[in-house]
Amino acid sequence: MAVNYDPAIIGRVFETTDPVVVQAEDIRKFNQTIGDTNPRHNDPEADGGMVAPPSFAVTFRNGRHFFEHVPRFGKAGFDAGKDVEFVAPIRPGDAITLKSHVKEIYEKTGRSGSMVFVVIRSTLTNQNGQVVAHVDHRFMNRP
Amino acid sequence: MSTVLDLHSHSEASEDSRAPLEAYLNWLKLRRAERPVDGIVLTEHRQFNRDADYRALEDKFGVMVLKASEVETDYGHILVFGVTDEMTRRFDFANVRLRAQELIDEVARMGGVAIPCHPGRPNVGLCEHYATKPPLENVVAVEVLNGGSRKGEDERSEELVARYGYGAIGGSDSHLVSLIGLCATRFDADVRSMEDLVRELKNGVYEPVDFRPRRKPVPHAVAVQSK
Repeated sequence: MAVNYDPAIIGRVFETTDPVVVQAEDIRKFNQTIGDTNPRHNDPEADGGMVAPPSFAVTFRNGRHFFEHVPRFGKAGFDAGKDVEFVAPIRPGDAITLKSHVKEIYEKTGRSGSMVFVVIRSTLTNQNGQVVAHVDHRFMNRP
Repeated sequence: MSTVLDLHSHSEASEDSRAPLEAYLNWLKLRRAERPVDGIVLTEHRQFNRDADYRALEDKFGVMVLKASEVETDYGHILVFGVTDEMTRRFDFANVRLRAQELIDEVARMGGVAIPCHPGRPNVGLCEHYATKPPLENVVAVEVLNGGSRKGEDERSEELVARYGYGAIGGSDSHLVSLIGLCATRFDADVRSMEDLVRELKNGVYEPVDFRPRRKPVPHAVAVQSK
């Protein structure tokens, strides 16, 4: 069975989130969960100023309405990983906005059967209009 | 002079691999003693990058890089060697429902060769499809050694070869840098280009070779006699 969806959905931006202001405490809590003790990532007095670890970029969420627009294939699925392209540091006090679109939809077959992948690209921008990261969220659906 | 090639590998051009080509080649250069591979074939999933030019990296690391493709069909996954513009016009490589028999016949007619890979693998291997459908015709060889095989999969592939008399190749199917070159194919002839490779796969003498480290046997438990 071929996967059917409106190809016009690819590239369409459905929603831009409200800015989320990054707190130093948020970064520290994130570091605790991943075991990052780098002073640069934890100490506001560090040389050059505190910056978030690169993977902090994945903590920003799409708006709750975004997924209403994303096609679903089948009943089951899961998060199949994230690719992050780091562009600029995220610092405490930054106000991060997400703009997301459906980057790609593709099928593949594997040991466990057929799969449909939906890739959503989120572009993270700070209060200065500077892009700080691109995050590709990959979701696997079982048709 | 013989040639050893890893005929099945995926670089970061495939969506499920994170391995840069340069890292593959550096890895092979550093481990030449344990994986004496002269070259690799990039078989990216459902695509063929005609314009990619790897000559600078080949020169830098002294490892040959050839380009092919892994496509998906009604009989499982198939490696296509000798891809031409005519083939990519004739077949949509992104289509996961290509017809295997048509692909094999048409690729051969256009000067290439199509070889089913990991035939012992569930769902995407030839063996499972042969259980419910007639065997394919004009199959030159299948991939008997696959670096990503789970227990029993390569054994099923060997049984298939024994039954149908196919030629046998090997490839790492690596998606990670450290796995490149673990399985490969040794050709009696000198292979220096895709044209050479297609010719040898069709008519040459070759065999799969396995460079995977042997696991140490688990020592038997020693029974302790109670006094």
